[in-house]
Amino acid sequence: MTESARAPEQRGALDLAGLRRRRWTGDLAFRAILSALTVAITVVLGLMMIESFISASPVYQKFGIIGFVTGSEWAPSFTIYGAWPFIYGTLVTSFLGLLIAVPISVLIALLLTDLAPARLRGPLGIAVDLLAAVPSVVYGLWGLLVLVPAMRPLEQGIAGTLGRVVPFFGPPTPGSSYFAAGVILAIMIVPIVSAVTREVFASTPRIQREAVLALGGTRWDVARTVTLPIGRAGLLAAVVLGLGRAIGETIAVTLVIGNSDNIGKSIFSPGFTLASVIANEFNEATETLHPEALIALGTVLLVVSVIVNAVAIGIRNRFTGGSRSGF
Amino acid sequence: MTIRSVRQKVTASPAPNEAEAVAIQVPVGEPSASAAGGAALGDVAITVRDLSAWYGARRVIRDVSMDIRSNAITAIIGPSGSGKSTLLRCLDRMHEVVPGARSSGKVAYQGVDIYDPEIEPAAVRRTIGMVFQQPNPFPTMSIYDNVAAPARFNGLVKGKAAQDELVERCLRQAALWDEVRDKLGHGGTSLSGGQQQRLCIARTLALQPKVLLMDEPCSALDPVATLQIEQLMSNLKSEYTIVIVTHNMQQASRVSDITAFFNMGPDRAGYLVELDDTRTLFTNPKNQLTEDYVSGRFG
Amino acid sequence: MASDGAAVFAPTGGARRFRANLLVVLAVVALLLALIPLIAVFGYVFVNGIRSLLSLDFLTQDPPADLSATGGGVRNALVGTLEMTGLASVIAVPIGLGVAIFAIEVGGGLARAARFLIDVLSGLPSIVVGIFVYATVVVTQGHFSGFAGSLALAIVMLPVVTVSAEEILRLTPRPIAEGARALGLARWRAILSVFVPIGLSGIVTGVLLGVSRAIGETAPLIFTSLGNNFFTLDLNQPMQALPLLIYRNALNSAYASARDRAFGAALLLILIVFGFNLVGRWLTARRRLAGSRR
Repeated sequence: MTESARAPEQRGALDLAGLRRRRWTGDLAFRAILSALTVAITVVLGLMMIESFISASPVYQKFGIIGFVTGSEWAPSFTIYGAWPFIYGTLVTSFLGLLIAVPISVLIALLLTDLAPARLRGPLGIAVDLLAAVPSVVYGLWGLLVLVPAMRPLEQGIAGTLGRVVPFFGPPTPGSSYFAAGVILAIMIVPIVSAVTREVFASTPRIQREAVLALGGTRWDVARTVTLPIGRAGLLAAVVLGLGRAIGETIAVTLVIGNSDNIGKSIFSPGFTLASVIANEFNEATETLHPEALIALGTVLLVVSVIVNAVAIGIRNRFTGGSRSGF
Repeated sequence: MTIRSVRQKVTASPAPNEAEAVAIQVPVGEPSASAAGGAALGDVAITVRDLSAWYGARRVIRDVSMDIRSNAITAIIGPSGSGKSTLLRCLDRMHEVVPGARSSGKVAYQGVDIYDPEIEPAAVRRTIGMVFQQPNPFPTMSIYDNVAAPARFNGLVKGKAAQDELVERCLRQAALWDEVRDKLGHGGTSLSGGQQQRLCIARTLALQPKVLLMDEPCSALDPVATLQIEQLMSNLKSEYTIVIVTHNMQQASRVSDITAFFNMGPDRAGYLVELDDTRTLFTNPKNQLTEDYVSGRFG
Repeated sequence: MASDGAAVFAPTGGARRFRANLLVVLAVVALLLALIPLIAVFGYVFVNGIRSLLSLDFLTQDPPADLSATGGGVRNALVGTLEMTGLASVIAVPIGLGVAIFAIEVGGGLARAARFLIDVLSGLPSIVVGIFVYATVVVTQGHFSGFAGSLALAIVMLPVVTVSAEEILRLTPRPIAEGARALGLARWRAILSVFVPIGLSGIVTGVLLGVSRAIGETAPLIFTSLGNNFFTLDLNQPMQALPLLIYRNALNSAYASARDRAFGAALLLILIVFGFNLVGRWLTARRRLAGSRR
């Protein structure tokens, strides 16, 4: 029996059995709409990234990628653009922020997973999360008017004692400085780092934690033998995510870092980070290539934060994937 | 959950006539000797030939061939792991919904291969309805909408009056109407477990299916609710072809006309051991394994 | 840190009890260290901002052209913030929901590419998003505009909305999903009429968190909506927003009037952001409760 001979008969039977009704039209249209949407957003976002690099390309052409990134002088009036002072500022402030924020965040995460009474965990967790919801500009305003003046005596004290021996802690200390920016960053990244750490800690097997308690262990033992060892990889991911946030934080830093195009020798000197120099100079960028140079700084920031976040996601995937080799 | 498409590899038999030629005639007792009060059994509604199914690399049923008669209740019994539920899910193409699941062989409804690429799986599932082990009414919909919405979405009913009529008819058929007539606007999940299960049956009936597949529909219910569902099945038999998977042998012998006994083979895949009319299978099984199982010696 | 069996099994001695308690004390100190800024920021902003906020003029008048002059309000910024965030939501919510459904429903290379981009986006400094929109929309249009600002805020919101919607939709209980399939419902129908309603409160939470993030953003607006000392509803014009107004006034905070204005606007902004945030969390908490009761 040939195909063609059997086909009509089969069709008739299909209809007879009521199995062949409206075919896929609805689903096809739905898929088409979703696909179009997804393609559109992918293309638009991709184009935006590419367009930013194109806008910055005159600067890269003039100074070279390496030359621009390592150039230590930024003098718009002489059309000299080097990104290093800002990369330096970003590194110093982010590192300082992490140094302060990470221990605090880990302790908070431990408190909210293992130590605090269950009743308090919810409200305390929300309070910490609300820290993350405060807009950056509000931290900046507060930092500028309250934190910077309040810390000036501390800064001057350190600069006057330790600073005599180690130039890195020496004067000047006008108040606005890398240090102030680091402190404000620490306040801002604590919620992020502690939230992710908390999630990781909470995912440690409850059976194991209860086992330690059932064996007469203290809460310190739980933290030490279960939570911290198992949570280490996740903690690392949290720290890297915090780093990503610190690198990109803009307005709060702009308001407290003192805004200087030069590399400050001390952490108590004014300076700039990548993000803050862009925000501060963009609207007054009238010199030759100045806007392009600021966009080029933005592309540096883009590349750095993509790398940092990729590392964080990689660590987290490795962690949640169950393979813990290397940690 | 999966709502993602799973590519399905089905080896359709070359031509229906050839398939018929090689079909293994499964012995079924004389229709007149039916257990359920001598009611005449209908024609063959569903033909299953050489059906195998896999989850990933693991084969869960092997080479099942059987006929399912219309206007009768066919019970599928067997120990756990014997592939009862998988077989049922293959009958309305729900098996392939699970990622990594596939099947081969032929399943035909009224002579039409339901795995034919021309056939829309959704249409198969409308014609061959399924009721699950756990009642699963849509939690965001009212009792009324649980029955009306699927029918409406499938374009089976138009207009408020027709819809009201359909909801009442189906709820009556499912023996739920009197209990819910005054609270049709309440959430479907506000009902008791047995009521939820009857709501799910009403919801399926609203699609005017020809076949009802029931996957251990009473296992989550109390004895009273179980009895209600069993009575409901007997009432529905005159209009529908019903296949029920159960591990309750009493239930199988109470409600079904025909019983199929499945067992797990040495390769851990389920296979059909014996199919016969229910009374014969329970009182005079031909296979030693069946006898051991129905007499409670294993399983 | 190897697990120390002996330490676990030994009876709690004085030293170990001390260490356990020390840990708790340290953790409490850490929490206080983190909460002090929250309380300090909120308290300081409240004390300095409440007086401005209590006057009706603050909400109904525009600021003076000279920031150092007293009087005026923040009407232009409040309206600009609401208008731009509103448009941003209108852009971001359907796209985010669509991409989330696409990722679940269709999958494949395109979905992975889109999800990768959105993951990248969620880690991107918002100032870089501002640069994207500047380099494309503002440069092409030749001027700053409220529309460009909305677009930048939409891109900031997008990852929050997408990721939460995808997570929620993946949580649709399997029996419900199978029930919909077994009734022969078309997939689009099952998603829109069954799965989305089930996850609605979670999706709304994601949107509210996205809004609360976008509404406080300053950096992306500097290059897109720029700011405007005058009232406008025209999305084709540069547009003021509360964060921008706070920033500009903070830069001029040597003047008491600018400082007061900044604090009043900051209090207003915090109240709006916390409002969205807490409503979102409340919805999530309610859903969890309902889930555990079921």
